[in-house]
Amino acid sequence: MADYAFPHRHLLGIEGLNRLDIETLLELGDRYVDLNRQRVKHADTLAGRTLVNLFFENSTRTQGSFEIAGRRLGADVVTMPIATSSVKKGETLIDTAMTLNAMRPDLLVIRHGSSGAVKLLSRKVDCAVINAGDGTHEHPTQALLDALTIRRRAGDIGGMRIAICGDILHSRVARSNVACLNMLGAQVRLIAPRTLTPPGAADWGAEVFTDMRKGLEGCDVVMMLRLQQERMDGAYLPSAREFFHFYGLDADKLRHAKPEALVMHPGPMNRGVEIESSIADHKTRSLITEQVEMGVAIRMAVLETLAKNAPEPGANSK
Amino acid sequence: MSARRAIYNARIIDPASGMDEKGGVLIENGVILDVGPGVTKTTQADVKNDAKGKALAPGLIDLRVKTGEPGAENKETLQTASDAAAAGGVTTFVVMPDTDPVIDSVALVDFVKRRADGVAKVKVHPAAGLTLGLDGAKMSEIGLIREAGAAFFSNGDKPVEDAGVLRRAMSYAASFDALVASRPDTPALSKNTVMNAGAFAARLGLRGAPPEAEWIALERDLMLAETTGVRLLVDCISTARSLAAVERARKAGVKVTCSVASYSLFFNELDVGDYLTYCKVQPPFRTEADRMALIDGLRRGVIDAVVSAHDPQPTEDKRLPIADAAFGAVGLETLLPALLSIALREEIPLAVALKPVTSGPADLLDLPQGRLAAGAPADLVLFDPAAPWACDRDDLSSRSKNSPFDGRKLEGRVLRTWVNGATVFERG
Repeated sequence: MADYAFPHRHLLGIEGLNRLDIETLLELGDRYVDLNRQRVKHADTLAGRTLVNLFFENSTRTQGSFEIAGRRLGADVVTMPIATSSVKKGETLIDTAMTLNAMRPDLLVIRHGSSGAVKLLSRKVDCAVINAGDGTHEHPTQALLDALTIRRRAGDIGGMRIAICGDILHSRVARSNVACLNMLGAQVRLIAPRTLTPPGAADWGAEVFTDMRKGLEGCDVVMMLRLQQERMDGAYLPSAREFFHFYGLDADKLRHAKPEALVMHPGPMNRGVEIESSIADHKTRSLITEQVEMGVAIRMAVLETLAKNAPEPGANSK
Repeated sequence: MSARRAIYNARIIDPASGMDEKGGVLIENGVILDVGPGVTKTTQADVKNDAKGKALAPGLIDLRVKTGEPGAENKETLQTASDAAAAGGVTTFVVMPDTDPVIDSVALVDFVKRRADGVAKVKVHPAAGLTLGLDGAKMSEIGLIREAGAAFFSNGDKPVEDAGVLRRAMSYAASFDALVASRPDTPALSKNTVMNAGAFAARLGLRGAPPEAEWIALERDLMLAETTGVRLLVDCISTARSLAAVERARKAGVKVTCSVASYSLFFNELDVGDYLTYCKVQPPFRTEADRMALIDGLRRGVIDAVVSAHDPQPTEDKRLPIADAAFGAVGLETLLPALLSIALREEIPLAVALKPVTSGPADLLDLPQGRLAAGAPADLVLFDPAAPWACDRDDLSSRSKNSPFDGRKLEGRVLRTWVNGATVFERG
């Protein structure tokens, strides 16, 4: 697999990748985990290259994770301060992209609140674009880091039964994860009340459950999703306490999964809403902090892979 | 151990099995031990009641009752409503959430259940508000309230106007297989009306509610029930076309059931007559053609529940010009006599006519009562199916006396009512 040439210029979603693409990124990520655990974590793979972080939505962990990943590979990392930038002054999204493009970055990491916005920008720039989350569409590096986390802890994902629980409807993490885990051969289950289940979810290649206890039966891994506060105002859900009662992961519900089932959460968590603290902090079963660690490694793998694929200077610019 | 009681020499009517024959019922510990022709005068028992050939049926189950408790105890309390129920042969009823405060939380469902356990002679199941405070905007804690024992979820007499809210609430309720009840009404068409729209209302100079008010909301609710997969009870349909719509949807696989108020089977719009405020109800009395279509539905067994739509209103809210008077009619004590009168006049077999007040609603709420079968709770009513009488509102047990049946001649009268084998009413 070492000589497999990753055939994509951008990473816009899991959709569009094949199994070999994913395995290639996971293997490279795996090697970077080892590097990241050494005292000196520097590589010079991206020396002289420029990485621009463009986050139109607030983010701490993903933005930080990409920054650290870029720096460890020796890239020059710039994070654009959107909150105080010309975007706030009314500049259109495409003008912002054209402006940035003129600065000739090599890698552009974008998060945007609208589904499809990252893809739109990717068509306007010459560099590699990495989707760090677009609306309720995709968050591919999250799915990759989740897969890496499971693989390192529990081995081959093929044949595992993995449940994704909570606000599936509004979750880009869920969409990317279903696609990724399916491709790796897992049996995926979605657990949510019907108001938070996307129409047609049954056709995603996942089994859909409204009863969490039934859905968790025989699961090797339980992935919880973050529930946005604004969903609990009576439109999609009556209240946080009702959500926790029926869909919050507590010891009682977790008992229905396999005895040593692992627990994941993309963060940030609402303790007591979607997950009980004792589960989130469980020493052996919670993978939540490992997910963060894997996040840096997988982003290093993605950055390196796409930087290799970048066209020679001048090849694609006007 | 309570005494073993045999009620013999009765005409046994059990709509669940279609049984209508001579026999008796044997009861012990509040539960039916045996039923049928085998229970006779010689059956071993501590207490024996000779039914003298009168009819013995499961106690009635009424899916739509309003009381004033909590909040308007001057209209009716759970206790006075249960007295009226017992006198009417109703042994189980569902109270609607339109109270003050609205029954829209676990605590209030619990309050009504505990209160009823203390004061009511019959079984009371609270229905809960589909939205908080019946505001039509925010759904209530449907999952938790269902676990607390709510019979179903309804916005009572305040229809949810926002289709987006209703769709999400139905969708959410479907996650828990909760039953949602909705009385189809379009306030934009029915607001400030008094009776059915039409020539008669025009002649009286009264504003009428057109049947479209019911049809539009009904079609919307049926569509949303179809797409969300919720179990929907269409509450109190009043027109021929509504019944046809429900039947059509049911045939298409929608999980829909329907109820009809007993007054819609008995009265038509002409009964509003001389501006009778006791006849001002929601939905209004419709045309004679509508009434006959609903009776035909009763005969064909396509009406799942007949309800009293009991809605007590004190004199001060009724003795007003009809446009200013409150909506609502009491009905717990006239539910069975009205049905018996219709069955007699329209020649509908009693085992058919009584199904929507016994096993029909029992099946909807998954209750063990509502049938004469070994193991079922001994909730029973003994009645004379053809005894003629005239209803006098002053004789009613309800705290409020606003009955449209006041002064009407009825056939069929309750003689005695049992709940869990204990007598809760006996006509003196």
